[in-house]
Amino acid sequence: MPEVLVHYQMEIWQSISETFIMVGVAILAAVIIGLPVGTLLFLCRKGQLFENSIVFSSINLVVNVIRSFPFLLLVVFLIPFTRLVIGTAIGTAAATVPLSIIAIAHYSRLVEQSLLDVPRGVLEAAVSMGASVREIIFKFLFVEARSGLVLGLTTSIISFISYSTIMGVVGGGGIGDFAIRYGYQQFKTDLMMYMILIMVILVQFIQFTGTTVARLIDKR
Amino acid sequence: MINLHNVSKSFSEFRAVQSVSLSIGEKEIHGIIGASGAGKSTLLRLMNLLEIPDTGEVEVNGRLLTRLNGKELREERKSIGMIFQHFNLVANKTIYENVAVSLKLAKYPRKKRRERVLECLQFVGLASYADKYPAQLSGGQKQRVAIARALANNPQLLLCDEPTSSLDPNTTAEILGVLRDVNRTFGVTIVIVSHEMDVIKSICNRVTVLADGKLYETLTIEPKGIRIIDGDPESFVKQLTEDGELNNA
Repeated sequence: MPEVLVHYQMEIWQSISETFIMVGVAILAAVIIGLPVGTLLFLCRKGQLFENSIVFSSINLVVNVIRSFPFLLLVVFLIPFTRLVIGTAIGTAAATVPLSIIAIAHYSRLVEQSLLDVPRGVLEAAVSMGASVREIIFKFLFVEARSGLVLGLTTSIISFISYSTIMGVVGGGGIGDFAIRYGYQQFKTDLMMYMILIMVILVQFIQFTGTTVARLIDKR
Repeated sequence: MINLHNVSKSFSEFRAVQSVSLSIGEKEIHGIIGASGAGKSTLLRLMNLLEIPDTGEVEVNGRLLTRLNGKELREERKSIGMIFQHFNLVANKTIYENVAVSLKLAKYPRKKRRERVLECLQFVGLASYADKYPAQLSGGQKQRVAIARALANNPQLLLCDEPTSSLDPNTTAEILGVLRDVNRTFGVTIVIVSHEMDVIKSICNRVTVLADGKLYETLTIEPKGIRIIDGDPESFVKQLTEDGELNNA
């Protein structure tokens, strides 16, 4: 083990755990809120089951606006909101707020796209069998789109890791922040490179897992 | 079995079905034929309200579907089977699960489900394929699964939207055979939409001809039976030369 890593191991573990917390909360937000939002976006599209141009355009606009912010500005812009929700705008917990917001916007768009790949005929067959909207979503739509949903989540998680690296601006910590403060700003280039390496390994692992799972559950 | 009273359906400017009235009797095999764009599929899809008519009433099995609320309509649909040109099976579910889902939707008793699924697969000759996925089956086999799925809840009516149009002639004959058996064995009324005259002539006993969204004529015919085409190369040669125009030189 290189000496520099041994020397900073406490800080490194600390920053890794901060990254996991931030990304973990973002994943939860993506699945718990982003998935339903993306599904609603899909169902309200023209020609779909719930066709509703007002709902579709509103959600579509909000998702686009959130995604057009440079992320750093979104973090700053959301400070009052974060303070309202968490009680402070500084720290790892506070950092999860803007991350969750972008996570919802990001994943809902990918969910919408995966659902568009489900053949219309399958949903039509479901309707002809007397399925309710709920049954259509859970017994047909999600079943048929599941590998796309997993791949989309994989892409999203990797983006969340990337977004999480700039949470240092609000004291969120994390691997990226550690690499900048200790590695870059203190001219410890080797330490910075090791941190980058950790992130590369992490991303490789996530992508490999996501791709494998998606392949295993795809029977199409 | 089915009574359509002056149903019309337009898609923006296009008038797909214009004021059609039609009665289909119990246990009939009723064909609907016409040129493309004549409104055949739309007319069929009006029979289980997959398309909601702009005007007119749809009555199936003594119930006015056009007067039902969403929940009542869903209940009625469970006793109306439907199969499609592209089968529309759930690709990520096994053959067994594809049939089981229609039982689940109809709240069929859980304990009896397995038996019923296998019974239906047996009827279409695919009991041994229960654990396979649709991608592993041929087109004809997929359509058989779709038929099993449509029959699972003992419907009194089976709507078929171009059921053989993406199948080769041999497989078409097989599927038509299955449909005829469904009609004979269970007394299910069948409505078939097709643009293929052979399909309509082989098993239908009443036929509606549509033209430009209007009912042109409805006539009673004698089904002329399903012509089995064997894959023997000599039969292809024979068919090619049948008209006596082959020049062997």
